[in-house]
Amino acid sequence: MFKELNPLLHSELRLGIISLLISVEEADFVYIRQQTGATAGNLSIQIDKLNNAGYVEVTKSFKGKMPCTTCRITPAGIDAFEEYVDALKSYIVK
Amino acid sequence: MEDKKLTEKESLELISQMICNTRNRMEDNKGIPFLIWGYSTVIVALTVWYMVTTTQNYYWQWLWFGIPTLSYIAWLIFNANKKKKENPHVKTFVDRVIGHVWMVFGISGFLVSIMAIIYRMPILFIILLTMGMATAITGLIIRFKPVAISGFLGMALSLLCFVVQGTDSILVFAGAFILMMVIPGHILNNTSRKR
Repeated sequence: MFKELNPLLHSELRLGIISLLISVEEADFVYIRQQTGATAGNLSIQIDKLNNAGYVEVTKSFKGKMPCTTCRITPAGIDAFEEYVDALKSYIVK
Repeated sequence: MEDKKLTEKESLELISQMICNTRNRMEDNKGIPFLIWGYSTVIVALTVWYMVTTTQNYYWQWLWFGIPTLSYIAWLIFNANKKKKENPHVKTFVDRVIGHVWMVFGISGFLVSIMAIIYRMPILFIILLTMGMATAITGLIIRFKPVAISGFLGMALSLLCFVVQGTDSILVFAGAFILMMVIPGHILNNTSRKR
């Protein structure tokens, strides 16, 4: 029986962001943009969606005069990712 | 990457690719903390040795507390130059562990240095041994042999502080820091630049 895939994570960019954050403690906007190759505008929208769902915690600060957005995955985000991977396993042909 | 739907196979490939990218990452200038602390220690140690041997005035030993000041200034200069370009920031579990290792060894080194003002103790041996331990642990955690080996070398060289007595043991201390921090710092920087 196929499990339903979380629609919030079943998008290329959002899954990329979550997969990246699952293996680090925190990453800033510049790093995520470099790794995903996404545009700043699109990335910002997708991070907002993950933040609103409670999957990602966003901290805005300043490095000198430059604004700095730092993201880290929340326990809810880790649970969602694990459930997503579990669901994916049900699609793998045995 | 875009906001597009994926097939199950693409999802799995994307997850493994993202995790792999982060695992294989090595920041540029990873050796900078080693170089800053290494050069500061060597400069201060040689200055103390020179001043004490030429003046025979042991008050020059207070200069040792110039190491954190010199390192802090060097750190500020490095960061000021870094901010001019766009620098991505990412912190992994390994970064946090290494940070905590150095915090613990740094605090113990500072406390021992304070106690050495009041009580007589082989302070150069203790500092060299603890810093060697921290360097070796760092090398083992990041799986970088030159750093791990130089850490163990520093620990071994700390014993020389008992063989070479008096003010000249400062020269052993400075030499050990070149081997333990300056050289592996440069190797680490070169390796991270090549990746």
